[in-house]
Amino acid sequence: MPDTSDKSEAVDGAHVSNSGPLKLKKIRFSAFQHELNVQQRPVSYNGVISAIAPDKKRRRKRVKLRGIDMFRLLRPYVQVRFSDQVKAVLPLAIYLNLFQILILRQNISEPWVVMLGLIAIIAGLMMFMEGLKHGLMPFSESIGAILPAKSPLPVVLLVAMLLGIVVTLAEPAIGALQIAGAMIQPESAPYLYEILNHWSGMLVFVIGLGVGLAAVAGTLRFLYGLSLKPLICLALLPALFLSWQMAGDPYLAEMIGLAWDCGAVTTGPVTVPLVLALGIGIAGAAGKGGSPLSGFGIVTLASLFPVTGVLLLANHVAAVTSPDEIIAAAQATTRLVSEISWYEQSPMQEILAGLRAILPLVGFLLLVLYYLIGEKLRNASVTIYGISLCLIGMIVFSLGLTYGLTNLGSQSGSLVPATFSHIDSVTDSPLYLFGIGITVTALFAWFLGFGATLAEPALNTLGMTVENLTQGAFRKSTLIYAVSIGVGLGLTAGVLKVVFAWPLAWMLIPGYLLAAVLTLFSSEEFVNIAWDSAGVTTGPVTVPLVLAMGVGLGDAVSAMEGFGILAMASIGPILSVLATGLWIKWSVYRKRANEDIQTSLAAGETS
Amino acid sequence: MKYNEIAVLTDIALITCIVQRGKADDIVRAAQAAGASGATVHFARGSGIRERLGILGVAVEVEKEVISILASTDHVDHIFEVMHKAAQLDTPGMGLMYVTPVEKAATHIPPEVLERLRGKK
Repeated sequence: MPDTSDKSEAVDGAHVSNSGPLKLKKIRFSAFQHELNVQQRPVSYNGVISAIAPDKKRRRKRVKLRGIDMFRLLRPYVQVRFSDQVKAVLPLAIYLNLFQILILRQNISEPWVVMLGLIAIIAGLMMFMEGLKHGLMPFSESIGAILPAKSPLPVVLLVAMLLGIVVTLAEPAIGALQIAGAMIQPESAPYLYEILNHWSGMLVFVIGLGVGLAAVAGTLRFLYGLSLKPLICLALLPALFLSWQMAGDPYLAEMIGLAWDCGAVTTGPVTVPLVLALGIGIAGAAGKGGSPLSGFGIVTLASLFPVTGVLLLANHVAAVTSPDEIIAAAQATTRLVSEISWYEQSPMQEILAGLRAILPLVGFLLLVLYYLIGEKLRNASVTIYGISLCLIGMIVFSLGLTYGLTNLGSQSGSLVPATFSHIDSVTDSPLYLFGIGITVTALFAWFLGFGATLAEPALNTLGMTVENLTQGAFRKSTLIYAVSIGVGLGLTAGVLKVVFAWPLAWMLIPGYLLAAVLTLFSSEEFVNIAWDSAGVTTGPVTVPLVLAMGVGLGDAVSAMEGFGILAMASIGPILSVLATGLWIKWSVYRKRANEDIQTSLAAGETS
Repeated sequence: MKYNEIAVLTDIALITCIVQRGKADDIVRAAQAAGASGATVHFARGSGIRERLGILGVAVEVEKEVISILASTDHVDHIFEVMHKAAQLDTPGMGLMYVTPVEKAATHIPPEVLERLRGKK
């Protein structure tokens, strides 16, 4: 805004223009004011509405956009979603880089490839999540809300089960399993190699079956208001028993880590919202929705049921083939690998994998919508936009997974042992004394788990729910720290397990038994919260990173396999949250007891 | 204290501005810089032009924020213009705003201001 001196000058100029030699420019005050104010041009709305009214075919005219309008609309849209994913990926990447450069004194190999890969992860996740919101979520919501009214309960449960299976295919982190499988040496872990390379389709199907059963069980739980405690115990029993039995066989024992890791993989960004939307829709249609706890439970069961499935599959594979056959077959194929068909090479492979992941899910949802509900697509163009965004996002994400996260994770994993032992790729290793090196490794794992969990946005949401549920007794920050510390400790235990080749079964079985005991003593709310918090922490970024790190680490210390770290990272928060819940309950009880004593004393004095 | 008099404000107009969720803070800040003394924001849902933008409609939030600002009739035009610019209302999908006359309003008025205004009368 021009200051007022201009105004007075202009006004003065009008008076003294003819008197002096000074030539003054005349400005009319009204013209000046005209410049100062934005002109408001009145337009009659009657005129506008008749100009944009629908034509005879009742079709509304499209709005014409200028370039600047497109920019203004799209910039905040992209910016918000991009920065969400940046916040999830960047801190982890920076932490790993700094650790590698400062503590391990190694440069990152192929830094540009890793960086482009990370950008691809961020962009891919962004597009995928947005596509999910516009393309797939509306399907699941309307199916959940309408289907129970139109079909009998068995059909509804069947749909929930099938949804669980196809949804697992679409889970981005599931691709990380296959990539991790490619890094396994057939000689050191034959069954693992066989399952991840030749039975991978079956493996994903079995995991999906577990998720499907979990969806059914979770939905029934919604409908009949069952307690989660017996369900958890029922789900744990066969898994723990099989693990205990398989721990005796040296070849089968290597499968335990994979099986329990699969549970963590399933509870990702696709499964949880889609299955939950269906379950809540069904419960709502039955008039049982609205309970604050109704959202919980499915996630827990979806991470427990697949474990049993994978363990059974492992037993089946062991029954059909023997380790010697697998090794012989693997050696035979390595001689033949010189020619890889075009569709198995890097960019094509990811594109095909993306198509294979998304299309069954879309097809299934469309079939249910058309044949069971008999409803047509309401907003076809937006749905198509969402589905194609999902597809592109999935493909870009898988590319980023191959070149960025897996690369970075396996680099860190394979270099970390340089702190305490000799590694060929690192000159003058071991870098530190054995004790210090192990401590550095443990701290590295702890901070990785702690930091990655602290930054998880889903945990924040869970924290708020929990604070409301417990009327403030369980503070949001308490939950976030309990879960983060639990994941950190779990990750540390997992890394140490790989380094020292501790048998996983002897860590998992007592851990889960302890969790079961704590579960029996805890109240229903804390049980729901604790078991779900384990699923929340294992997102699409953490899972591939930790898997790759584990396998790289396992390779470097020539352990049999690097799985099981994720499983330990899941049991950690369950234990820590259950323990915190019990502690809070106890301290509330003690406070009440103290108050009771005081009031009774006071009552005694007065009487 | 006898409660027999309340100060009622006249010459007031209400500016209502409906924008996408998350945008209100910047607009309120701009309006306050232009002389608005306060603002009320509440959440709402609404759509209209969104459906006519085609695919680009997904970039427009259905969730809205409604900003209500009471302004003196001397200031209302200026604040209106500043808010229009801050909200980029010339772009389709960004929202809308309107001014309605207000018969009377009441709030805290500093006693010394009240005294001065009474003296002028």
